[in-house]
Amino acid sequence: MNIVALIVSPLIALITGLFFLGLSRKISARIHWRYGPPVYQPFIDVMRAFSQKSITHGNFFDFGIILSLTGTIVLVLFLPIGGLWALNTGGLIMFLYLMLLGPFGIALSGAAAANPNSSIGISRNFLLALAYEVPLLLILLAVMTDYNTISLVEIVEKQAATGMAISSWRLVIPGIAYFLILPAILGLRPFEITGAVQEIASGPIAEFGGKHMAFYTLQHALQTFVGIALFVDIFLGGGTLFGLLNSLAGTVWVDILEIFIFLLKMVLVLFIGLFVNAVYPRFRIEQAMQYLWKWPTLIAFVGLVIVAIIN
Amino acid sequence: MSLEILLAIAYGGAFLTYFSGKISQGLRDGAAVLLSLGTVLIVSSFYNVPAASVLYEGFLGLSLVLRMNSLAWFFAIAIVSFNALCVIYSLAYMKDRNEKDYYYFMLLLINAAMLTIVLSGDLVTFFIAWEIMSWATFLLISYNRNGALQAGIKYIVLSLIGSMCMLIGILSVYTSFNTLNISELSGQLTTASAGYKLFLLIIFSITFGIKNAVMPLHTWLPDAYTESPTPFSAVLSGMLTRMGVYGFLVILFGIVGIKSVLTLGSGFISYTKTMAWLGAITIVIPTFIAMLQNDAKKLLAWHGIGQGGYMILGIAFGTSLGMAGGIFHTLNHAIYIVLLFLSVGAVEYSTSGIRDLNSLGGLFKKMPIAFLGGFLGISGLIGVPLTNGFVSKWLIYKTLILENAPFLAFAALLGTWGTILSVYKFLHNLYLGQIPEKHKNIKKTPLAMQVPIVILSFAIILFGIMPGLPLKVINSINVAFGFSPLDVNLWGVVSEAGTLNMLNIFTALIVFGAIVWGIFRISRPATLTDQYDNYAAGAAIPKDKYHYTVEYYAPFYRMVKPFLKDIFDLLYQKVARANDFLCDNIRKIYTGYVGNYVMYIVFFMAFLIFIQLKWSVF
Repeated sequence: MNIVALIVSPLIALITGLFFLGLSRKISARIHWRYGPPVYQPFIDVMRAFSQKSITHGNFFDFGIILSLTGTIVLVLFLPIGGLWALNTGGLIMFLYLMLLGPFGIALSGAAAANPNSSIGISRNFLLALAYEVPLLLILLAVMTDYNTISLVEIVEKQAATGMAISSWRLVIPGIAYFLILPAILGLRPFEITGAVQEIASGPIAEFGGKHMAFYTLQHALQTFVGIALFVDIFLGGGTLFGLLNSLAGTVWVDILEIFIFLLKMVLVLFIGLFVNAVYPRFRIEQAMQYLWKWPTLIAFVGLVIVAIIN
Repeated sequence: MSLEILLAIAYGGAFLTYFSGKISQGLRDGAAVLLSLGTVLIVSSFYNVPAASVLYEGFLGLSLVLRMNSLAWFFAIAIVSFNALCVIYSLAYMKDRNEKDYYYFMLLLINAAMLTIVLSGDLVTFFIAWEIMSWATFLLISYNRNGALQAGIKYIVLSLIGSMCMLIGILSVYTSFNTLNISELSGQLTTASAGYKLFLLIIFSITFGIKNAVMPLHTWLPDAYTESPTPFSAVLSGMLTRMGVYGFLVILFGIVGIKSVLTLGSGFISYTKTMAWLGAITIVIPTFIAMLQNDAKKLLAWHGIGQGGYMILGIAFGTSLGMAGGIFHTLNHAIYIVLLFLSVGAVEYSTSGIRDLNSLGGLFKKMPIAFLGGFLGISGLIGVPLTNGFVSKWLIYKTLILENAPFLAFAALLGTWGTILSVYKFLHNLYLGQIPEKHKNIKKTPLAMQVPIVILSFAIILFGIMPGLPLKVINSINVAFGFSPLDVNLWGVVSEAGTLNMLNIFTALIVFGAIVWGIFRISRPATLTDQYDNYAAGAAIPKDKYHYTVEYYAPFYRMVKPFLKDIFDLLYQKVARANDFLCDNIRKIYTGYVGNYVMYIVFFMAFLIFIQLKWSVF
């Protein structure tokens, strides 16, 4: 299973991530009463970017973007996609740390480009990350404390036995908090601070073109995938669906169906996120930080207190 | 080889270096390097060789004892190795300074004193070595004069408070048990009352808390780290400050014993919980203060405080996992913080003394080795997987989560995410971005600086991928303290709830990295461009002004600056000023006029007579 997952899960993540990028453009367009680009537009964009000319600012510039994409691919290996997972060592803590590599690589690359727009974008990106990490850490700690494990796979397995985490009254509060910070994790409006096109020329990626841009798009697609998939895994029970698949247990169909159920749940979450994205203007950084440190943090904190007291 | 010879070489080497400096500079440099490398060799020969010897019989009726065990070896090898690297580094860094005989003498003396501390088997030896270390440190902190004198005074005042506390503790132990031998004490203290144990722990915790800069006793550290000569900042941040951790280990687990420590306290308030929460505060607040710093060394200094909190948090729980995390983090922290200081020192050397984060930038192409050190150093400090900091932090987080302390775990994790911001700023403002015109032709990094940086960079990766190497030694320390050993292999830890295997991650990153790199290579080559050939959204690019560094996290600063004051430092300074004022006024009674003195005597006699008449005490 692990060897299969090693190859399949990055592919699923890449395709789904790119598809999600396209979907999000399409849906926002329809909400805005526009026609919008086709759903497969990001695939075309990546292909085209690979064929275009690009500039580089030296080896470290290249190293950053390679590190970023590699780190995000390895991150995907940790996510149980249905019953599919390749790595489990180190658990959620390892996962949290590997989540760093993507933005960190982009930041190194952007800074090596010596473009102040990039630097401003990176500074904003880190601030936004700090802002949403506060509630996110509280949420994940609540989950880890409640299930008394640091392993992501075990969390999903326990949900398969006892039902979705979000349906248990102890974890519904952290679930709500996660949902509130989801746009920030995905970098969607109102938290589209990092790559504010009109202000800082797309921020960290100002110097990216051609293959660098293609790599960035792939990384971004994976990042989107990871942000939503983590929510589905932790709170919506991964690929399980109220024990409906129990009758098929033991066959290959379960594995395949679980992946589909997992992706279906992800689409659902993405849709709800997009409805927020399409109608909100962008926050300023202070506003974003204040928002994230106020309601989501408060809710997540209450959730953690409840879980900690019960344990 | 016996322990006396080791110490004789360490102390004798310091004096030898000093006097050979009077003959020739080259001889002194050679002696310093050879002697410090020699101690590394001798200490490493003690691996797994427990030893004990009596240094001196009958000091006030007590014998001074030396002993070598796994704990002592672990700290000793770290001390001498970092010291040797810093001596090598100093060859280049201190080249144009004055008073170098004195500098090397003090550096080697501190090395010897730290060795004696970890080798000492009784509290008298411990105290004497502790004092030698503290005073020699004071002299080296004030080496640069000016602001450094103030920093040195601050250090020595706090250090003396610590020493006095330790002296009180030692005297009280001696009067109660009539021995100061650590191994004898650990047996005898089991009979003591809980109150007495608590008293001992608190009084020693003040000493070691000051040395390890646990909040609120941290105030000496930022100035001391910033003002000392950079190679010594490295020594100071590497192992010297962590003598506090060693002290905690000895007093908590070596003398009082873990079983008694865990039972001290009642209800929600207990000794270990208080310690853990102080550790958590020590992590969070300094990490956020570090974000506001513009001096590269001061930024690192605040992280030095913050990372100390992780070690305290690890050992406070008294489980084998937490102990392993705490002790391992002591080593890991030393590796990356020494590396970072050496990296800053290289920048300082090349730019003739600039370390202001707002006026540097773009040095990564000019100083690739120093940049490598800075990059791996901050990766270790954050704890990026595959660097050493990750493993020890992982052990600590896991302890906290499994021990059901999610709020402490939150503090520890939050500290890491704060760290990312400030150390990224550090890396970006020093090495990345645009290089100012005036730094285009800077001095090259000398070989003597490059060698230690490369060695430490290698160590970061090595211990990140193969944490089993040091963890095996740490395991034997755990066993010696009476904990159950961890199931350790070369690549990580296997334990009851979740394993850590760095080999998996390493392989995955290498394999996917190779694939990504391969795709990158076979796709259309990119054109190399200059730093001024930038996309500026249509604006012209002004030379030398196009680097975003000042107020790097401006919106955040606006939000948090009012809340992040070092209130303890302000408080202590207020106390110091009040004391100054008081003494200044007391001094005024010495008027120099004999009549006044006669008057004081008369008043005093009258006072005594009054007391005698009223209460007839005499």
